Amino acid sequence: MKKNQSFPCGLTRRELVWDMGAGFAGLALTSLLSKDGFFTRQAFANAEGPQNPLAPRPQHFPAKATSVIFLMMNGAPSQVDTFDYKPELEKYAGLTMPEDKSYINSGGRKVGYLTPAWRNFHPGGESGLLISDYFPNLRKHADKLCVINSCHTDSHAHGSALVAMNTGKTFIGRPSLGSWCTYGLGTENQSLPGYVVMLDKRGGPISGEPNWSSGFMPSTFSGTLFRPIGDPILDLKGPKHMTREAQRSQIDFLAKINEEHLSSLPGRQELVSRVDSYELAYRMQAEAPEAVDITKETPETLSMYGIGQEPTDEFGRNCLVARRLVERGVRFVQLYSGGGHLEETWDAHESIEKNHGQHGAEVDQPIAALLTDLVQRGMLEETLVVWGGEFGRMPFSEGKDAPGRNHNPYGFTMWLAGAGVRGGMQYGKTDELGFEAVENKVHLHDIHATILHLLGLDHEELTYFHQGRKESLTDVGGGVIRDVIL
Amino acid sequence: MGTTYVARPPDTIRALFTIDSNDTVLRSTVLMTRNQNKTIILLVSYMKSFGTSPSGNAFLIILSLAIGVAPNTLAAERLTAPDFEREIAPIIVRRCLECHQDRDPSGRLVLTTRSSMLKGGRGGPAIVSGDSEESYLISRITSGEMPPEIKGVQQHLPDNEITLLRRWIQAGAPWPEQRTLDLFEATTDVRGGRDWWSLQPVIEAEPPTMNRADLVENPIDAFVLAALEQADLEPAPLASKRNQIRRIYYDVIGLPPTYEQVNEFVSDEREDAWERVVDELLNSPQFGERWARHWLDLVRFAETSGYERDQVKTNAWRYRDWVVNALNDDMPYDRFVLEQLAGDELPDRSEQTVIATGFMRLGTWNDEPNDAQDYKYERLEDLVHVTSSAFLGLTVKCARCHDHKFDPILQEDYYRIAATFWPGPIEPRDANLLGGPTVSELGYENILGWTDLTGSPPPIHLLKQGKRDKPGEIVEAGSLSAVAALFKSFDPPPAEATSTTRRLQLARWIIDKKNPLTARVLVNRIWQHHFGAGLVRTPNNFGFRGDLPTHPGLLDWLASEIVRGGWRMKPIHKQLLMSRTYRQSVAHPRHDEYQLRNASNKLLWRSERRRLDAEALRDSMLLVTGELDESRGGPSFRSTVNSNALKGLSRKDAAWQASPMSQQRRRSLYMFSQRSLLLPFMTSFNFSDTISPCGRRDVTISPTQALALLNNSFSHDRSTALANRVIESAAANPAEKVRMTWRISLGRMPTSREEQLSLNHLDEQRERFKEGETDPQSEFLALASLCHVLLNSNEFIFVD
Repeated sequence: MKKNQSFPCGLTRRELVWDMGAGFAGLALTSLLSKDGFFTRQAFANAEGPQNPLAPRPQHFPAKATSVIFLMMNGAPSQVDTFDYKPELEKYAGLTMPEDKSYINSGGRKVGYLTPAWRNFHPGGESGLLISDYFPNLRKHADKLCVINSCHTDSHAHGSALVAMNTGKTFIGRPSLGSWCTYGLGTENQSLPGYVVMLDKRGGPISGEPNWSSGFMPSTFSGTLFRPIGDPILDLKGPKHMTREAQRSQIDFLAKINEEHLSSLPGRQELVSRVDSYELAYRMQAEAPEAVDITKETPETLSMYGIGQEPTDEFGRNCLVARRLVERGVRFVQLYSGGGHLEETWDAHESIEKNHGQHGAEVDQPIAALLTDLVQRGMLEETLVVWGGEFGRMPFSEGKDAPGRNHNPYGFTMWLAGAGVRGGMQYGKTDELGFEAVENKVHLHDIHATILHLLGLDHEELTYFHQGRKESLTDVGGGVIRDVIL
Repeated sequence: MGTTYVARPPDTIRALFTIDSNDTVLRSTVLMTRNQNKTIILLVSYMKSFGTSPSGNAFLIILSLAIGVAPNTLAAERLTAPDFEREIAPIIVRRCLECHQDRDPSGRLVLTTRSSMLKGGRGGPAIVSGDSEESYLISRITSGEMPPEIKGVQQHLPDNEITLLRRWIQAGAPWPEQRTLDLFEATTDVRGGRDWWSLQPVIEAEPPTMNRADLVENPIDAFVLAALEQADLEPAPLASKRNQIRRIYYDVIGLPPTYEQVNEFVSDEREDAWERVVDELLNSPQFGERWARHWLDLVRFAETSGYERDQVKTNAWRYRDWVVNALNDDMPYDRFVLEQLAGDELPDRSEQTVIATGFMRLGTWNDEPNDAQDYKYERLEDLVHVTSSAFLGLTVKCARCHDHKFDPILQEDYYRIAATFWPGPIEPRDANLLGGPTVSELGYENILGWTDLTGSPPPIHLLKQGKRDKPGEIVEAGSLSAVAALFKSFDPPPAEATSTTRRLQLARWIIDKKNPLTARVLVNRIWQHHFGAGLVRTPNNFGFRGDLPTHPGLLDWLASEIVRGGWRMKPIHKQLLMSRTYRQSVAHPRHDEYQLRNASNKLLWRSERRRLDAEALRDSMLLVTGELDESRGGPSFRSTVNSNALKGLSRKDAAWQASPMSQQRRRSLYMFSQRSLLLPFMTSFNFSDTISPCGRRDVTISPTQALALLNNSFSHDRSTALANRVIESAAANPAEKVRMTWRISLGRMPTSREEQLSLNHLDEQRERFKEGETDPQSEFLALASLCHVLLNSNEFIFVD
């Protein structure tokens, strides 16, 4: 037995964590029970010497995606007005929902009449995927998109559905998708956080921090909030007089007194590891602002993303920063479109046309630019782009002549693009009204399993032992949607 | 991969021991199969921890001595019938009963009795007595269909087991009269049974007699030394007195000693100098403030509901104060449990005992669940989980949808416990009540409490697969069947009662002196917070997937002690703190060698170095600057939160209102914790997540922590305050200032080299700050910079 090899079976959680943080041993984070019976397969290469929990780790199996950009359409866009064309709604316009369709009327709102799409659909690309006029720019990328029309989820309420889309369960307290990805794969650039979340400046999503929390995993794996301008993360700068040079002196002096302190102490890996963390922090102070500094981008790029123009400036900036982060080795970036409540998000109770008209215009050009940019840089092959909200919306209005739609967890659309995903594809179906998924149904666990799979992670193997149970993102459900993968 | 030692006793069973990287036995198991095809292990036994071994061979020798192993293969097949209990029952229990027991038997085949085997299921009789080749059981097994594969992995029976089954059938399938096999009757390699160690009565054993008086201060040391000697290890020498006092201050009150307190102890030559410190600290009101936090972690304490509106639970702080007071008053633990679970049902109910029932109100609460009826069952799970993990160290919640996969906890057991909370405010009601009772139902104003809403609640059904649309039988409130000796259904309340007294009965069952879990779980927690790791290192899980105790005898001795002492906790604290083991050094003269032999230090050959937790770190920074506001109790203060962190909130109308700075210097225990916005400074240092019971916090080291300590305004404000304090101390020249800074922040004088380095830093920074010529305060800023570095130092944040 190699002395420096770790043996995870029987280690307690804290020891694993401690080992990770302090680097006594290699990492062994997946299942405690291996496929061949009982013993743990060591899922990650066991590097010599100290390791940190965010050090890059190999995939479970070869896969193309190395990073993810998740475009979270907070508030829930309407599928029948965007990516799920339902001509029958024109036929049935003005009628009520068939009585055999049962659903929870979220928030006890008025139930109106079946209403066709508020904007026209047109085919895009060679594939001819139908995309509505809320996304005219994105339509040009139709051949890159794998549109999944048959998504369904577990809650009709924003708070719990957002948490479910991010963590797999409707209740708070579990690690988010980005946490699982960084837990599984570490991150490539130690001077930047591995998992970055950028919020809409109108506010955070409902339920807040649990949406990017690491839940029962160490906080090392939680999402870091990033601002696209200035100092992107908390605590990057001290007071004014504490210049970079002044701080360098502090860190050098700190290293010396730490050295004095540990010279007489055995078993000092954790002490050494803490000294290293200061060097890392020091580098992060320089690299994080550099990552959001878009002044070095060409005017063409800026204008492609719609930066400097309204209404695209904010989301365009976020998309561009997302590309820069991925380029610099960040594992998982999540961007929120919409923040706060109701019409500040995609939550179009009042009016689809007004709401989606506004939010669509904010994101359509930036997302199209992001795809173009990723292709131009040869990055799309390794970057998985995910688009979607926490659920969809009803095919009927909220009253007579009421132009809004209520929440619908029974059927909605998400799309994937990039690394390893079939483009120009439509997968799964809702019923003729666009109300509920009926063919090739895709639960959010399946989405999660597929995202992990595209990153080379087996959603059943990627487990974290917590309170007597091997926890995983998809828990007891979920399967990879094989048909959407190249 | 760890090393697996397979020993082969002569009598059909084999032992398989798993050793972690170079040290102790992780799991000891008795194996009933062949090892070639990797089907592994049976019967995890409750056994004493073996010693360490410098090599596998040496280990095997120890092992051989311990269980009388002879290198041999299986005895030749005999023609007589196999022994049912020893050879047949374990195979059926291990291989078949997970699916073929009474509840929803697969293929309608039940294999728990001889008659059910003969009767068979869909495929006809399972066995034909006397004819193994005609027996369906054998053909299904030999064809490889049974047991079915798990996640693509074949589960073929090893040949010797098939042979045994064949011989048994051939011999007429003898089966003892009245014998019914039970999946949970005994531990196997894949699950724990009712014979699992933590479910057995606490053994009241005498401490071992050791003849090393110099190393044995009290019985704790005797237990520890016995295990060390068995492994041929020596304990570390005593820590320096300075380290001892710093350690005990942090452990007991969560604050460092001052320079004066250190010196007073170091120069105290009296016999009882240490005991004086122990007593003084245990009697300090800060003891409760420190230890209450450990309990608050366990009961998922926070002061808001979570989710969208994240409503404030206005009176949660009263529960926090109740815990602090209970610990400071050394309330007996049985009473501590009673009040929290049933303070409203006690004959001597008072405002304080009802405040304690806040225990049931501290979890998250969603005012807009997807399905209000389903959500009732989520709330029950939260209550079952917090109760079973905090008091019993069991994961009962895992049995909500099916029998527990690893422990002998039936789905009925889950519902028996859930039924105790069922009569409370579980039904969806006015959201303003935040899931609790009304004032009139509770009988008190301004209390976050719990009470039954009726003495005769509707029955609760077991839900098949946990689904509400699949109700199973009605379940009566009662205790866990896993503790067989105390198993019972709870009595109905008197006819006119407004409360079911179910929680009262649950509490009384938990604190029954014969309950094998309660005292063990409790003393293990106390041990953990003094020693850095518990005797059972998974404090919330004493089940199959948890760790085995490193010192089972010691654990049981402590458990007996606390019950004998009327469940008072302070005497146990004192016992631990008075031990030599507690006072030993982090350093060991043979560290490198021992590290190879017992890396995890489970045998306690040295003390554990510990990083300060979030609270101790923040409180220490405030203490050394002289700013700590020690006022106790009352509503929490709200910390200033960086405006960027506030962006994560969805509701602008719920904008964060920080308390005046004057209130923000209280101990971290009193910091308001809002679930949607925990203070980043605290979470980066591994504050508990406040959502599920946390028995042991993570300890990580990250650049985010470094950034927080380097740049956060809290940190800089402390450096400034410390610099001011140094100046006020009237230190006259730079060297004196340096010494004063060290003495205040680290409780010691600097060495001459440290002093020189510090002076250099002062010079360098003073010149630098002068260069800007914008700041006339360069002298002061340089001193603040020195303070800042010391507050960032490893010595400040680690306790040896």
